[in-house]
Amino acid sequence: MQPEGNWLLRAPSLRAKQVLLAKIQDEAGHGLYLYSVAETLGISRAEMVEQLHNQEAKYSSIFNYPTLTWADMGAVGWLVDGAAIVNQVSLQRTSYGPYSRGMVRICKEESFHQRQGYEIMVQMAFGTPEQKEMAQDALNRFWEPALMMFGPHDADSVHKNQSMDWKIKRESNDHLRQRFIDRTVPQAEYLGLTIPDVNLKLDPSTGSYTHSPFNWDEFWNVVNGNGPCNQERLDHHKKAHYDNAWVREAAAAYAEKVETSVA
Amino acid sequence: MESGVKVWEVFVQKKSGLPFKHVGSCHGYDKKMAIQNARDLYTRRGEGRELWVVESNAIVSVPLDEADAFFDPGEDKIYRHATFYKIPEGVNHL
Amino acid sequence: MNFELKNNESKFLIRLADTATILGQRLAEMCSKAPFLEEDIALSNISLDLFGRAEELYKIICTLENADYTPDDLVFRRNERQYFNLKLVEQPNEDFAWVIARQYMHDVYATAVYTQLSESSNSELAGLANKVLKEVKYSHLHSKDWMDRLGLGTEESNSRLQLAIDHLMKYVEEIFAWDDLDRKQLIDCDKITSAWENEINQTLADCNIERKTIQPLSMRDYRDGFHSEHIGHLLSIMQYLPRAYPDAKW
Repeated sequence: MQPEGNWLLRAPSLRAKQVLLAKIQDEAGHGLYLYSVAETLGISRAEMVEQLHNQEAKYSSIFNYPTLTWADMGAVGWLVDGAAIVNQVSLQRTSYGPYSRGMVRICKEESFHQRQGYEIMVQMAFGTPEQKEMAQDALNRFWEPALMMFGPHDADSVHKNQSMDWKIKRESNDHLRQRFIDRTVPQAEYLGLTIPDVNLKLDPSTGSYTHSPFNWDEFWNVVNGNGPCNQERLDHHKKAHYDNAWVREAAAAYAEKVETSVA
Repeated sequence: MESGVKVWEVFVQKKSGLPFKHVGSCHGYDKKMAIQNARDLYTRRGEGRELWVVESNAIVSVPLDEADAFFDPGEDKIYRHATFYKIPEGVNHL
Repeated sequence: MNFELKNNESKFLIRLADTATILGQRLAEMCSKAPFLEEDIALSNISLDLFGRAEELYKIICTLENADYTPDDLVFRRNERQYFNLKLVEQPNEDFAWVIARQYMHDVYATAVYTQLSESSNSELAGLANKVLKEVKYSHLHSKDWMDRLGLGTEESNSRLQLAIDHLMKYVEEIFAWDDLDRKQLIDCDKITSAWENEINQTLADCNIERKTIQPLSMRDYRDGFHSEHIGHLLSIMQYLPRAYPDAKW
């Protein structure tokens, strides 16, 4: 919510504002679906929020990158949601029922997210030279972080074996990542934008694109809390949570008074 | 830890006459909040015309380790199913 | 671009449209800042209703004016003095009590106004008003419930709500200083005033909030494009992109 919320107030048209707001709202909803899934396993939301705040819980590293221009709203929807969808579609077949049902719902709602992102990219890429420059810059900044959303290479993935054995994860990180690259490159070509990877080449024998090695040092550094916005994202969440503690207390006190007297 | 918030199970009826279907859960401090939260979480795209919320801890379920005792005895009572019975050839409408 | 309105109906409607835009923007500011995720979604929903409503109203205005500008031009290219929203809705989100008090005071007003507009002779407007009434009814339900929770919840929530009400009440007087345009477009302005007064007094009494006497303030009327200083900051953020890149299409 935060990286996109950063541009919500500055969305450049009524349509863009409504679309972005509806999208962020969906993301909040998806957070809630997944918190609910975790609650079925016996952990409360309050505990999960606490884990987030004391950094025991991790969230996707991509959200620790800043959104610097409006084109980033395009890149985030197109690339970040695009990558997420490839992952989530695969997770619809996960073995845990509540998780699978949550994912089915999420995939249904996500389908507009990637499109709205791409729509912004189209507007920017075919707009004024300044807009096109912003679009290219956003692609440059989000390309590699989006690819790293799929997680470490299969050989280095700590949880891979257990998650695959238990059928929680259904396809490997590298497999999903390759699928995403192969789908996305032609979309970038349509926009007339250049993927920031000199080694990106179509291998005619496999129909897949090869790519340069990723900067995994940066990836792990961001995962471990040293990305450009980790501290800001967390502080923002904490502030909203603690500044509003009095509201939750009031709601609890009111419910205590009303619901016990009516029952 | 904060207290007072409750978990509610949410059931959506797609349209009048259809059964209510469990869709997930939401949080709420009181009934009115719970049903409004359920509305915003589960019916933003016209998924329903009616909603129920029920406090999760008001739902009684069969303890996991008693499932065999609850349900296995029902499995071998094959005489409860119509296919158990032989009907002479040529007899219809049974 | 010349945004001077010629038609009396559109001069009236732009007040409603701007009020919806500015309140929508204020609520959008709450995104990721609500007391919990469910409430975040609820406030976004109300914000979405408001932007949708504003857009429809601006469309009607553009038609009435036979304009060469679009609803987006109206939102993103007018300056402070060309905006005609209630000062109430441009007041900032000091805390959640301000958000709720501002919303509730608006919702009671909007319910009464759109009820009368649903009988407008302009069938497009009447149709829109009927749709808006459903949204407002829901928003009203939501804000009223929170008035109760905050007013009757804890000592702290009660005093925060009291503070918010004390401040926001300063911006009420102008709402009911009806002018000829209002009286022409609405069926019975005085009925709106009394409906608002009655409901607000009742609710405040029910949730232990005092309505203090306020000296009449010489802050000038929103109908003439007068504002509090907050409006400029809100607009400078909202209008940044179309203003910075005037040739760009979004």
